[in-house]
Amino acid sequence: MTTPDPGSFRDPASRIVLDGKRVLRLLDDRGLTSWQAVQTSDFYKGAVDEGKVVESRETAESMDGAAAVLEHPRLALITYPYEWTFSMLRDAALLQLDLLAGALRSGLTIKDATPFNIQFERGRPIFIDVGSFEPYQKGEPWLGYRQFCRQFLYPLMLRAWLDVPFQPWLRGDMEGPTAAQMRSLLGGKKRLSAARLLHVSLQARLEAGMSGEAVRKDLGRAGFNETMILNNVTRLRSLVESLVWDPGNTGWVDYGACAHVGRDREAKSRFLAEVLGRHRPRRVVDLGANEGHYTAIAEEGGVLAVAVDGDEGVLDRLYRRHIGVGIALSDLANPSPSQGWAGAERPDLFTRLAPDLVVAYGVIHHLIYTASIPPGVVLDWLRDLGAVVALEYVSPDDEMVAKLTANKLDTELHQGRTEEEFRTLLADRFLVGREQGLGSGTRVLFEITPR
Amino acid sequence: MIFAYLDAGSGSLLLQAILGGLAGVAVAARAWKARLSGRKMIEEAVAEGEGTTDNPVLTSEN
Repeated sequence: MTTPDPGSFRDPASRIVLDGKRVLRLLDDRGLTSWQAVQTSDFYKGAVDEGKVVESRETAESMDGAAAVLEHPRLALITYPYEWTFSMLRDAALLQLDLLAGALRSGLTIKDATPFNIQFERGRPIFIDVGSFEPYQKGEPWLGYRQFCRQFLYPLMLRAWLDVPFQPWLRGDMEGPTAAQMRSLLGGKKRLSAARLLHVSLQARLEAGMSGEAVRKDLGRAGFNETMILNNVTRLRSLVESLVWDPGNTGWVDYGACAHVGRDREAKSRFLAEVLGRHRPRRVVDLGANEGHYTAIAEEGGVLAVAVDGDEGVLDRLYRRHIGVGIALSDLANPSPSQGWAGAERPDLFTRLAPDLVVAYGVIHHLIYTASIPPGVVLDWLRDLGAVVALEYVSPDDEMVAKLTANKLDTELHQGRTEEEFRTLLADRFLVGREQGLGSGTRVLFEITPR
Repeated sequence: MIFAYLDAGSGSLLLQAILGGLAGVAVAARAWKARLSGRKMIEEAVAEGEGTTDNPVLTSEN
């Protein structure tokens, strides 16, 4: 019994279905013709060997009228561009351009240019849509150029040039900003540059003036060729490399310097190692992971460990260390929802994370005091994740909580904050295993299992 | 022809030629000229067809 992947339906030549844990790609006649050309090319074999393109194996199966069926290894973690940091999207953009350049030099092309065709495995981007490769036909332009601008280039420009995070935009509009929107966003404040004039302003003008006109054949007749695409790709690569973002010491980047972090780190690490040893999880999610210290401990056992945090700066630093942990940028008080076509094309973050062990160190007091979510509701949510939790409780007397509540009256805070109240809420929802007080006297670690 | 399932955008396609280097600019100019002459042909066909009852340009299918 196979089920169609809810995010793979736009290209009739190639679509993904899931057969239990197997990931299968069904090709129609056109898709099969492309695959036959792609699989024999040295470029494709090299890209697979280097881990830049996902592996594919042709099966002998016959399925749903498909001309051919390929099988891919199942990726441990799926994340979307609105959950990536700047450096992740930048690396994905460079991979997209490098693969296109390599394909063109081998008589192939890539028919689209969306970051949804790229995932991160062990901290490196990998291209997963083999069906996007096809033979290059003389005179054809790069059909994915506009898509590349909207989903890679403009989001990177937003952060690099305006210091505006791209993730909220991509989450709200997965197609990305249009050239006209980008022109408005850049306004008159940014320096004039050839990149801005060509990829943004001129594109916006041409898009507005030529909507619906049949240009594609005219270009071929006028002598367009793949060298022109390669010239464009080479310059785009330089442009993407020139786009940089330094988060500085904003947000939670300097969290590690806080006194309580260093003081409790050893005890919290030991406690987590013991929890990991007892439960031997396969998928660990570290909520509010910050610099990823505990994510890395969980990953040491060879399991999938994913750092989830709402601060792009800390996760971008973690990504650039390339230590192999998964990364998902998301505000825990507003995690990525299920969205896209029929509300199901891109499943919500926690459905994809599917943890069997959760690390919730130094995080739930932020949900309680900063996001004003009642403690019982926070614990309901944690319980519904269906995983063992290594939890850090922080009492109202803690110095950090005092800062979070500096401008709030006691009457404006939810019940369930005191240790006694919290323990009652906890026991209603979880079996409480081991617990350990920390040196401060205001923090307690719990190992809890949903009832 | 490469099989397109996404809308590549007419303006973005023409821009690619301009971004393709000097030779590309010449291609863009030729494609632009072809576009203008295509428009002119349509306008001429419309003008010639005015007042007739058998006008292929002005039927509802267009």
